[in-house]
Amino acid sequence: MLIGIDVGGTTTDAVLIRNGEVCSSAKVATEPGNLLNSLLEALDTISRDIPLEQLERVVFSTTVITNLIAEGKSDRVALLLIPGPGINPASYTFPDSFYLKGAMDYRGREIQLLDAVEVRETVNLIREMGFSRAAVVSKFGQRNPSHELMIEEIFREIYPECKLELGHKVSGKLNFPRRVATAMLASATRDRYKEFIEKVIKALEERNIKAPVYILKADGGTLPIKKSIEFPVETIFSGPAASTIGALALTPKGETSVVVDIGGTTTDIALILSGKPLLASKGAKLGGFLTHIRAFAVRSIAVGGDSVVRVADSINGTNVISIGPERAGPAYCMGGDETTPTDALKVLGLIEVGNLERAREAIAATASRLGKSEIETASFIVDKTTQMITEAVNEMFLEWEQEPAYRIWEVLQEKKARPQNVVGIGGGARGLTEGIAEKLDAKPVIPEYSEVGNAIGAAVARPTLTLNLHIDTEQKIYSVAEEGEIVSLNVTAIGNFNKMGSSEAEALASELLRKRAESFGISEYSGEAEIVNSEVFNVVNGWYTVGRLFDVDMQIPAGLIPEWRRREKK
Amino acid sequence: MKLGLGKIKEALRSGTAKDTGEGKKEQIGGRRQADKEETQKIVNGGKDSGSLEEVKMKLKRTEQEPESGSLSPADRTKAEKTGLIFFPAFDWAISPTHPEREERLLYTRDQIFEEGLMDLPEIAEYKPRLADYKDIARVHFCVPDIKTQATTPHLIAAGSCLVLADALMKGEVKNAFALVRPPGHHAMTVAHGNRGFCNINNEAILVEYLRKKYGIRRIAIVDTDVHHGDGTQEIFYNDPDVLFISFHQDGRTLYPGSGFINELGGPKALGRTINIPLPPETPDEGILYVLDSLVLPILEDFRPELVLNSAGQDNHYTDPLANMRFSAQGYAKLNEKLAPNMAVLEGGYAIQSALPYVNTGIILAMAGLDYSCVREPDFKPGMFVQAARDRQILEEIVTAQLKNWKNRDKLVEAEVEKHGDFYRRKKQIFYDTDMIQEFQEETIRMCPNCHGYITIDSQAHRSIYDIRIFGVSIPIYACDSCQAEARKEYRKRLNHPEYEYVYLQDKKGDEYTAYNMKTKKEIVY
Repeated sequence: MLIGIDVGGTTTDAVLIRNGEVCSSAKVATEPGNLLNSLLEALDTISRDIPLEQLERVVFSTTVITNLIAEGKSDRVALLLIPGPGINPASYTFPDSFYLKGAMDYRGREIQLLDAVEVRETVNLIREMGFSRAAVVSKFGQRNPSHELMIEEIFREIYPECKLELGHKVSGKLNFPRRVATAMLASATRDRYKEFIEKVIKALEERNIKAPVYILKADGGTLPIKKSIEFPVETIFSGPAASTIGALALTPKGETSVVVDIGGTTTDIALILSGKPLLASKGAKLGGFLTHIRAFAVRSIAVGGDSVVRVADSINGTNVISIGPERAGPAYCMGGDETTPTDALKVLGLIEVGNLERAREAIAATASRLGKSEIETASFIVDKTTQMITEAVNEMFLEWEQEPAYRIWEVLQEKKARPQNVVGIGGGARGLTEGIAEKLDAKPVIPEYSEVGNAIGAAVARPTLTLNLHIDTEQKIYSVAEEGEIVSLNVTAIGNFNKMGSSEAEALASELLRKRAESFGISEYSGEAEIVNSEVFNVVNGWYTVGRLFDVDMQIPAGLIPEWRRREKK
Repeated sequence: MKLGLGKIKEALRSGTAKDTGEGKKEQIGGRRQADKEETQKIVNGGKDSGSLEEVKMKLKRTEQEPESGSLSPADRTKAEKTGLIFFPAFDWAISPTHPEREERLLYTRDQIFEEGLMDLPEIAEYKPRLADYKDIARVHFCVPDIKTQATTPHLIAAGSCLVLADALMKGEVKNAFALVRPPGHHAMTVAHGNRGFCNINNEAILVEYLRKKYGIRRIAIVDTDVHHGDGTQEIFYNDPDVLFISFHQDGRTLYPGSGFINELGGPKALGRTINIPLPPETPDEGILYVLDSLVLPILEDFRPELVLNSAGQDNHYTDPLANMRFSAQGYAKLNEKLAPNMAVLEGGYAIQSALPYVNTGIILAMAGLDYSCVREPDFKPGMFVQAARDRQILEEIVTAQLKNWKNRDKLVEAEVEKHGDFYRRKKQIFYDTDMIQEFQEETIRMCPNCHGYITIDSQAHRSIYDIRIFGVSIPIYACDSCQAEARKEYRKRLNHPEYEYVYLQDKKGDEYTAYNMKTKKEIVY
């Protein structure tokens, strides 16, 4: 039996899955101040009638990191940055930054020495200023972390209590400002996240739950709960990720779908292209900072079932309506004060919930200002709402098509996809999904259990893993972006580095991925690994090839655990 | 994203070496409509694969408007971003160890990505597209045909310039930088092969596109590559609407061996070509002096609607193919002062020691950002000083060219008087990459009402065979009688068996044809 729980902003949803099918579901209100309680309440509700020893897997997705950052409950972090040549660091907007001399170039060659005296002074200064955490990030530190490591040494010597985050361990991808932000946010949230996770673990022990427990990440993959403490920020935005995986689980294999998670205030849109959820081409934005955190491409728009419908006088005399962006409580037909799309849906008989009399009252008020009949007005509101969502969907497709291309084959590749399905998830999906699907010329799909599609997604998501290998045969080294170590090629099985080709580089990447999967306890998914990108460059000096640079990017992509049985009925 | 990547790459490698345009044949006949319908077919299957895999691609369109007549440029004063296309063509090289190889922009990629430049709110990154054959035909007589000279990477490099041109003219961006390869500024009107690493001329294609689509008339091209931009110069030599200024290492010391101050333009365009040969080892100081005292005053006087920077980066002090002493700071300052509407990458082969820093500097400068911290690892301010003798040489050049500029109308008047109805000149052109020797006779109609049409009789000598072609070019703003006369010239040549190909380039009518004498077939682009 599997349990999936998604702690969302307003409700916490849970499902129990038995024999590959949803067995029961539960919804409890989220207490914003106490996510742990909400999570446990949902857990207790869903597991009330089952023998806990039969549980095979429990997966949570939580907004704890997002909340910590939004509420400013994260810790202060001193940033020790080694920017080297390039953009003037004065243009960065990071708080508490201390800039240090020293520089590496794009191939990890030291081009300016670190000034140990300056480092010591800075370390003393941040101690005096009362920082207990620091992130050390150097530009091209992923190509050569020695400056970051030297600073770590100095910390150990003169300020060992300070908790350190090193840039090259946070992300090996190119983009220094994003690495700084990611390291900073990881450091700022780690302790409180750890506290939260420890409480969860303790509560599970008290309930005698022995099944493995996982946390969902923004890229739709699961991470063993203890391992997640190492990567706190990767658990952001797991809500939309859970919904997307849920939609994946609830639609036929390999299809292209738009996932619309329509809530009260906002609609989250995600894309599944030929059965693969689309990842954001770059990392997620968190707390106003662009990061390296791998996440699904999710677009949120401020339109939902409870958005306020207003009538505004337009210039040419005819009145127009606007929807959102704000929400003024629940829909009128649910006891609220304003006309909303939900009221329109109720009047049109497209939803069951709500009070019809009140819905008609709300629509009548709007209709009189608009000078139209109630039915016309209700249709108009629904049409406008679905139109706004459809436009956002089209923009997402366009953006995906317009992603920059750096290789000839990428320019030639046809990047055109049209959705086969529009999958409606969430409370507002019923009633609106059909209109959106019609506009996109796709099939509307409202799966059974769509209101807890997010929790289903959490329950059946499988682990993900990435590995970005960089090899420099001239310098005889390789590095794995995710691990940060620079390793000599001599330790590999590769004989003659000068003659090695892509196949050897890819074999090394596969081997390293297998080991990495093992260390994450997810060996059984190694077989799902795929090569995302593999390229080789000759390094030419004068007219001679002196070495080669290889980049091999691999991943275990987001997907479903084998226990889940996709039902063919919609 | 996993789609038999290796296979596609493989297919392209083998394809680009020969040509990738095989599938275009059947399509060419219908190219008249191609303007309205920007759909292109590209074949990227390997030659041995038997069935060619066709990828039909609806191109990215920043331009959705109907293309009847020219569009008026949008107001650019409100645009705040710098448009950027980074197209390093990581899967294309002239040959594995050639300077123009896959690795060329690799470290630039690493540097600009690590800097996070693409995330800056001041930068808008665009996706490249392929240029249409018609865009190429507007500039070149490609021998034997366009697909031979303009392979897929060339079409993408040129197409990238056009994407940015559209973004610029629609007011989406305030300026733009096409950081693309392969380069183009050595490619001349007639393209028999590759010379100076160039097959087709990206800037010229851009200029003709801007004129045709947006009705721009006066354009200035400032060529800041270390090599003389002889291709661009040749293409616009007789066109007084295009001001071409090139500074470069003295042609007596560097390829292509031209670009002297007496090359001032054709009879009706004298003074609209300005060459500034710089002594070897000229540092930032010298180039900025030339910019301040000669280039900027002339630009101000010419009042172009657009300024383009043909932006080579091989004036750098570490460039392996030249001997100048320019730095990344110098390049950034140059672009800040010149403030081009568009920059297009040309040469620059110090791929590790210069390009990552120079490109970062140029992008920041164009985006109006602080570039003061961009510097090469070994650079120290003041490490290069202008020699007094060289300073004097520069001063003399500046004086002479300012005089030429001031007297340009008189020079034209005097020159035009010397010629009758036609002006003829003979040229020899050497294609270093492809080892072709070309002999040309160019004839310009000295029309009193317009710039006059041009005919080119060109014979190319390769190691084993010769090929002779005839081309007729009608300027976009030609008078009706020149257009009619030129078209007659074209038809007349169709009966001359000594030419293997005869071309018509009617920019006024936007009609381009190529006639194959052997097959007796006319291709309309």
